[in-house]
Amino acid sequence: MPVNQGCEASASERDALVRVRGLHYSVSQRPIFAGVDLDIERGSVTAVMGPSGTGKTTLLRLITGQLMADRGLVEVEGQDVAGLQRDGIYRMRRRMGMLFQNGALLTDLDVYENVAFPLREHARLPERLLRHVVLAKLQAVGLRGACKLMPAELTGGMARRVAIARAIVMDPQLLIYDEPFVGLDPISLGVVLRLIRRLNDTLGLTSIVVSHDVHDLSAIAGFSYLLSGGGVIAAGPPSALATDTREEVRQFMHGLPDGPVPFHYPAPDYLEQLRQLG
Amino acid sequence: MLASLTRELLQSLRIALQAIGAYTLFFVRLLKEVPRALLRFGLVVEQVHNAGALSLVIIMLSGLFVGMVLGLQGFDLLERFGSEESLGSAAALGLLKELGPVVTALLFAGRAGTALASELGLMRATDQLAAMEMMAVDPIRRVVMPRFLGGVLSMPLLAAIFSMIGIFGAQLVGVQLMGVDTGQFWSQMRSAVEFGDVMEGVVKSCVFGVACSLIAVYEGYHSVPTAEGVGRATTRTVVISSVVVLLLDYMLTAVML
Repeated sequence: MPVNQGCEASASERDALVRVRGLHYSVSQRPIFAGVDLDIERGSVTAVMGPSGTGKTTLLRLITGQLMADRGLVEVEGQDVAGLQRDGIYRMRRRMGMLFQNGALLTDLDVYENVAFPLREHARLPERLLRHVVLAKLQAVGLRGACKLMPAELTGGMARRVAIARAIVMDPQLLIYDEPFVGLDPISLGVVLRLIRRLNDTLGLTSIVVSHDVHDLSAIAGFSYLLSGGGVIAAGPPSALATDTREEVRQFMHGLPDGPVPFHYPAPDYLEQLRQLG
Repeated sequence: MLASLTRELLQSLRIALQAIGAYTLFFVRLLKEVPRALLRFGLVVEQVHNAGALSLVIIMLSGLFVGMVLGLQGFDLLERFGSEESLGSAAALGLLKELGPVVTALLFAGRAGTALASELGLMRATDQLAAMEMMAVDPIRRVVMPRFLGGVLSMPLLAAIFSMIGIFGAQLVGVQLMGVDTGQFWSQMRSAVEFGDVMEGVVKSCVFGVACSLIAVYEGYHSVPTAEGVGRATTRTVVISSVVVLLLDYMLTAVML
């Protein structure tokens, strides 16, 4: 499938909440992205997949303005992220929520205060109203009863759900999940998967889920991008990617140990090395 | 050989200048945030408790023992000149002008400074600072600034407590143990210690407070987000703070003498 075909078919530019065009980004002269184009359709759950080290998290950081592109365009709600000053970036982020890999809960605050944190910082709500909002968000993730627990007392899955509650407490338009399934047991994974889909639909969000868990993502994402080698190598519904016959797509989607991404890290000839060692 | 040595020296100088520049920029950024931080004084009070109140035990114990040693050594020295009644003034001047601020700053760097650096480093390593950024909350304003101000406010208070307990320790040894006359001890102290002497200690402890707190929050905030990186930031906090405190002490003493 041509790289941008699915993109054009499913996420028309005018309906894209996030638009990335010709994105180039390097770290210490090592190119991470060399001409990435993608759109995140409003109201969708879009998966960004790819092998480790392909820049999935970097892409999120570029979208959220934590990093700036070397070249190309990153647009959120029609605003060029590179053109925003610090205040503008903060204003943009108030309409975003982000779930970090480990939840990133503030360890000196309990669950309730963690969820209340963005409201206390940005909205001067009466305590009673604030309590109402926070408990409603905790109820949505099934953890209203855990509001007095400290982050250290939570399981990985619970911490992830509290982080989701905190991410939606400001009623964002865009919710970004960075590797939300890492280290979760099957029950917690199922809960988080359902939450991502349900919250997206009931709150009218747009969600970007970065992960390399192909099967889990297939269950919730309407559209997906596969990143590799500094660009998007495939785009389309997860089911279409699963039947893609190209070698690099097949290797990733079916978890094949060897292929375009080699099993062996580049090394000198083993036999030669053994001879040298005597 | 000489050329390579010169190159290395120049390289070290460049790195040192870069570090000083980075520290200065960070300090200026913190200064800009002072008015806002004072508006949320509750956060600062919390950090005065963390940096100050939680350091009280170590400060008081150290102050007592330093004062007791000062009493013993002072008595031994002054007795040779037959002026052991001057022990009170010697101990008070030594503690107020020098030992109080310096030892408190070194202890502060070891107790509160390392706690600050490792806390901020761990927050960075566990993405808590990044999460704040994503919630459109400036971590410098919300996390770093209250900790910095808490440290700055705590230091003169801790130094004052250190000196007070130290004088008590010197009195305990000099008067109760070695038999120096109580009246002589206190009256000599009152006549010898002037307001300027007290202020010298206050100024020093304020400057050390700014230096130690700045170093701790800078190192913690900029630590590499790994276990090793946090460890290094903590070590650097103690090492840099200790050297800077002693260097500043010499400079301030030279200016204020």
